[in-house]
Amino acid sequence: MPVLAIVAGMSVASVFILMAGANPLSAYADMFRTGFGCSSLDRCSLITTLQLGTPLVLTGISAVVAFRSGLFSIGQEGQLMLGGMMAAWLGYAVDLPPVIHPFVAILAAMLVGGIYGWFPGVLKVKLGVNEIISTIVLNTIAHLFVTYLINFPLRADQSTTAYSPVIDDTAKLMPFTSGAKFGPGFILALLVVAIVSIRLWRTTGGYEERMAGQAPGFALYGGVPRDFAAIRGMFISGAIAGLAGAIQALGVHYRMLDGFSVGLGFDGLTAAILAQVHPIGTALVAIFFAGLRQGAQIGLQFSSDVPRELGGGIIALMILFVSADRLFRANIGRFEAAWQRVQAARPKREVV
Amino acid sequence: MDTLADLLTPDLIRSGIRLATPIILSALGGALCHRAGVLNLALEGKMLMGAFIGILAAFYLGNTYAGVLVAALAGGLLGAIFAYLYLRFEVNLIILAIAINLFIAEMTVFFMRTFLGDVGTWSDPSIEQLPDIPLPLLDQIPVLGRILSGHNAIVYFSWLASIGLFVILFYTKFGRHVRAVGENQEAAETVGINVTQVQVFALVISGMLCAIGGAFLSVGHLTLFTRNLTNGRGWIGLTAALFAQDHPLAVFLTGSFFGLADAFAIRLQTTTNVPPNLVQFIPHVLTLVALILVALRVKLREWLARRAFRLRERRRPAAVQPTGLSPR
Repeated sequence: MPVLAIVAGMSVASVFILMAGANPLSAYADMFRTGFGCSSLDRCSLITTLQLGTPLVLTGISAVVAFRSGLFSIGQEGQLMLGGMMAAWLGYAVDLPPVIHPFVAILAAMLVGGIYGWFPGVLKVKLGVNEIISTIVLNTIAHLFVTYLINFPLRADQSTTAYSPVIDDTAKLMPFTSGAKFGPGFILALLVVAIVSIRLWRTTGGYEERMAGQAPGFALYGGVPRDFAAIRGMFISGAIAGLAGAIQALGVHYRMLDGFSVGLGFDGLTAAILAQVHPIGTALVAIFFAGLRQGAQIGLQFSSDVPRELGGGIIALMILFVSADRLFRANIGRFEAAWQRVQAARPKREVV
Repeated sequence: MDTLADLLTPDLIRSGIRLATPIILSALGGALCHRAGVLNLALEGKMLMGAFIGILAAFYLGNTYAGVLVAALAGGLLGAIFAYLYLRFEVNLIILAIAINLFIAEMTVFFMRTFLGDVGTWSDPSIEQLPDIPLPLLDQIPVLGRILSGHNAIVYFSWLASIGLFVILFYTKFGRHVRAVGENQEAAETVGINVTQVQVFALVISGMLCAIGGAFLSVGHLTLFTRNLTNGRGWIGLTAALFAQDHPLAVFLTGSFFGLADAFAIRLQTTTNVPPNLVQFIPHVLTLVALILVALRVKLREWLARRAFRLRERRRPAAVQPTGLSPR
């Protein structure tokens, strides 16, 4: 199903490429070459894609955990912002030895993100506040709060764009390669994917969370601490989004700045939806999305002269198609019915 | 040193009203949808599309009012497509809304770059901004006239739309149907209300309102289009609708509150060193508090009803009234 949606999304998008006056086939070839290709270690766009995909993998996994616990949380954006802010602040405000420094910053970021996820979880489970609505409001609040912090108390200098001071060298997650900032963050992301996959399907806690989401009545009947499991799921979800923010702050930007999260939360969320809320699939789709955007930026815009915004457009179309699977099913049914009518109209002998 | 009273000048309130207009319009659209039982998160995308189509139509037709009209029609059409996908194919509304928001945010820039030249911001000197219209009697009154008169047509439209939606929702058959569908879809169906029709209408009208709100930004407030022109105003509109409990007149007040907070923040930024974000903060935090309070009220009512029921049950076998017992 997701593959069908990907193909359908790209077919529809090729109409837009034609409109922009380019050949869709060569444009897509360019896009994939620049999005996922790798000629030498220094000029390897796949590594850049993996770097860009790291936060998306994590926000996607964050969404998976929340969805599996039965809460449609769209608060990853806010949790990521606050986690990044916390990590960036600890990155320069305290002095610690090299390995411990990022470790502490990441843990603190996860804690902050977790609490910011725990809050809408409690509101939903205890008071019945719609978690979609509360996370939207919380996202805006987090955004305004971080903008305030980097504009006033934590502002580095009076330049036109606001950002916090650069973090200490001890706190930086050093990249492996010279070209892209591809570093320990990606390893951490893979680790999270593995842990979440194992946790959701192989441990009691994960089972409780899935039951709280899938079959709340059954969970209660079976003695599962349903409410607690759902809230715990939200805390974990928030912590993972906070980790994404910490990796961005410590490994990519080395500071907190305006426009820190350019829709990272929503892209991760959509990756989770396209992958039908499965951790490993979500990671793959998230990296695919990052490659699409990267390829759209370099391959489409520079080589084929098609605006890079098409990358986002293709992603939107894919989500549209995956969410509209009934549309496919209905039309597949119609197609089958028409085919059967054709078959029935034929003389019996010709049908083999 | 500025005091609060010095800052609250008529000019500030005027700009507050202007900034509130798109928020009010999108919030009305959101409120109508919520009343009809549809959680509409695509307000932002619908506004952005309205802004884009509004300025394009104003450019090609040479008439700004025609541009706004075309934007409204396009918004209605998008609402209809939304309704079609939702009601015919049961597409998940939230996913659909996320897809629409993303699609419009990216594709407006795509079209702008493809067809209007490779630019980040598009404008044309031939596009006329919506003219300000002084209200006949009101502009004679000293302070009030300065605040309320001399806005453009969409500002007045947002006021009329708030009142109009209030009348429609609470005093017409269609409005009763909308509220019935929103409160209990199955019950509404049972008494013979055409739920599909009601929701389609709600989505179409909501799309039109959002698109007009967006067009206000592109041809009423500024005369340009740029990447992500709406800049989260659709989400603020959604928040304003939630804060107002989806009541049109309250939407007008909360929308104005958000707009005033924005105007105040801008003013603070230019005149003092007080952090402007803190002012913008207030309405959002209040919305969260309002959401919690409403949920608490529902819980409290539930709890009281349960308690009353238990007391009654207990009283039945034994005639003694068990006062002071814990409700559990």
